[in-house]
Amino acid sequence: MKTPNKSRLLLAGLTASALLFASCGGGGSSSIIDPGTTKAPASGDSGAPTEPPTTVATPLASLPACDTTALDSATGTVNITFWHGMNGDLEKALTALTDEYNASQTKVKVSLENQGGYEQTLDKYLQSSQDSRPDMVQAPEYAVQVMGDTNSNVPVGACVESAAYDTSDFLPKALNQYFTEGVQWSMPFNVSDPVLYYNKKVFEAAGLDPNKPPTNMAELRTMSQAIVDSGAAAFGLSLDTGADSGGGWFLEQWFAKLGELYSDNDNGRLAPSTKVNFDGQTGIDLLTELQALVNDGLAYNVGDNASGQDALLKLADPKSAAAMTIATSAALGTVLTTVQGGLIPGITTDDIGVGPMPAPGDAVAPGAIVGGASLWIVNHDDPAKAAAVWDFISFLITAESQSTWAAATGYVPVRSSALEVGPIAEKYKTDPRFKVAYDQLSQVADTPASLGAILGPQREIRTLSARAIATVLQGGDVAAALTDAATQANALLSAYIAANQ
Amino acid sequence: MAIKSRRLREIPLAFAMLGPSLLVLITFVLYPLGKAVWLGQQTCDVQGKNCKSVGWGQYTNVVKSDQFQHALWVTVKFAMITVPIGLALGVGLAVLADKQLRGMRFFRTIFSSTIATSVAVASLMWLFLLQPSVGVLANLGWLHNIFPVIKEPGLLNDSGTALWSVGISSIWANLGFTFILVTAGLQGVPKEMHESAYVDGAGGWMRFTNVTLPLISPTLLFTTVVLTSRAFQAYGEMDLLTNGGPIPQDSTTTVTYLIYGSSSIIKNNDGLQAAVAVLLFVILLALSALQFRGFGKRVHYGS
Repeated sequence: MKTPNKSRLLLAGLTASALLFASCGGGGSSSIIDPGTTKAPASGDSGAPTEPPTTVATPLASLPACDTTALDSATGTVNITFWHGMNGDLEKALTALTDEYNASQTKVKVSLENQGGYEQTLDKYLQSSQDSRPDMVQAPEYAVQVMGDTNSNVPVGACVESAAYDTSDFLPKALNQYFTEGVQWSMPFNVSDPVLYYNKKVFEAAGLDPNKPPTNMAELRTMSQAIVDSGAAAFGLSLDTGADSGGGWFLEQWFAKLGELYSDNDNGRLAPSTKVNFDGQTGIDLLTELQALVNDGLAYNVGDNASGQDALLKLADPKSAAAMTIATSAALGTVLTTVQGGLIPGITTDDIGVGPMPAPGDAVAPGAIVGGASLWIVNHDDPAKAAAVWDFISFLITAESQSTWAAATGYVPVRSSALEVGPIAEKYKTDPRFKVAYDQLSQVADTPASLGAILGPQREIRTLSARAIATVLQGGDVAAALTDAATQANALLSAYIAANQ
Repeated sequence: MAIKSRRLREIPLAFAMLGPSLLVLITFVLYPLGKAVWLGQQTCDVQGKNCKSVGWGQYTNVVKSDQFQHALWVTVKFAMITVPIGLALGVGLAVLADKQLRGMRFFRTIFSSTIATSVAVASLMWLFLLQPSVGVLANLGWLHNIFPVIKEPGLLNDSGTALWSVGISSIWANLGFTFILVTAGLQGVPKEMHESAYVDGAGGWMRFTNVTLPLISPTLLFTTVVLTSRAFQAYGEMDLLTNGGPIPQDSTTTVTYLIYGSSSIIKNNDGLQAAVAVLLFVILLALSALQFRGFGKRVHYGS
């Protein structure tokens, strides 16, 4: 009868080693993040006015140059590699465009290398030596500061200048997203923003106008009340706390809508941010509003959204559905395909409505900040390569290419002239739902606040705000949750600045 | 005297023979390990360059941090869930399938089939089954009447059930591996011993505990050590099923998830990642030693 002892011994061993390590803790809470001892922030006064920028704007002249004529003098074909993170239908559309480009000329040959996703592309890029990096890379919107700090790129702005390229018809917001400290770092390519998805059938059943989705949270609250009271659906809104959606990205969107700075130094666009602002009154009001929606049974929190689809799938719940949710416009194509497949009995694709992302409170604020990714030129001290990458980029952003790309994927074209040509002209006319995301980006004048924040550890800070929002939606104290998240975020920012200057 | 000098003369030859594997060991194991230990007391920029030493205190800071202690505790719980249950189920199925009956090959194939399923595929399957809005399990009326949590907030979204749910998916995925190892062990048990025990009047359970288990104990030890270290290094399940959540409780943030996870706050800090990884290595080393010492004496390796 020795065997039963084995598992007991195992348990004992495991517990012992756990206790051994836990006992090293020594009481009190401490974070794994050290704000950086080498360069501590000036002072801890949170009430002090924003410090002046700690670095001067990087002038274009000090960065690698771009000579777009270098391609003409190159002998033979210039081969360039392009790391991207597009999958499924998006990859198919990108491959089609690339094939079209390769077939259209003989000077440049582009090889696509799929890295699996944004995260994987960025991680691999950061960890590779300059020699093993590709000639061109697609990096997500939250990586602007990090990519700039690698000092590994030819800024796209230098090529725009060299080629005297006309960007007058571009969405200013798309370009400005990738413009910091006086430099146009990269070229927007695939642009998306959050929109409201809603079930028109539920709106009708609740006696609401199915063509008038709520534009702000006050309206959303009233409509959700009508939906819940009438029994048309169990919940008005489906919310999530994922870092890429409701927990992080949307918070930045709401600050931008209100014209409030999310972080200091003009949202990190003048100089690297040292401090986030989401623990201020704006953040408190916003989260209090969301918490009340959940507490009053008007909104349902699906949680972390680990699959990326939980918030949307709540609209298809056969037992307790929600009538609305907020999700990226890039999901629209997939949503319509899935609904067409019969996911929600009795609902056709025409019953899915799309409206602008609701603004906080009773604000009238139709704008949004740019999501998605942009194209970066990697510096290999080879003017012909840089010129070749620029040639390919300028092909990807022609009005025709952008029209084809947007129609195939659901992304927003980066320039207004794309709306006049090709398939997207037709699509926006026949299905205005696709145009909602575009309109959100073209409506509001750009200020540092309306453009949203550029932060070094942006992904990690979204994780922290997501934790705060999750705490609040589970009934936690709003101010305490936000203060805690902001303290950790500020430590991350100082550590980042200390390590990267 | 003669023997000693012959031994001395053989030393160069021994090194020449060992050379290739030593070279491989040093290049791919010892050097990276040393490098990781060194990196663990540094802080680097986003590219992992310009590393500055911040002192060995970084290791103590990590050990003292809430994040590491929490992750370690989650990892220990995960091992305590997956190892005993996984082992018991594996042994149970292997013993059931160790009968000379018609069609047993079919069951053996089924029981071992999960070894051919990657963690990603297995996790995605469980994700679809457990999705609380449209998933199959969540919408079985009787099931969700008994366990309301399966629907709201969902097994993977509830801080109390998330680790168990990930654990079940992991047990399921590892079952084929355990089954095959134990089956191989069972085939080494001589039939005569069972027969003589039977003649002596031992019942089924008695034969299992007094004959089978001692004879397959080397296999069980090996399986336990491997399952434990697999549990301590499990990553794919958390990455695909929960992202280390639900937040803010971080119910499934294990040590490996803290190192690599897409929602880890140290995901771009090479120094801290290395420190946590080295600590995980030390813990695993100690744990394996503990298991070998603890059970080693009880293991019957035959005569």
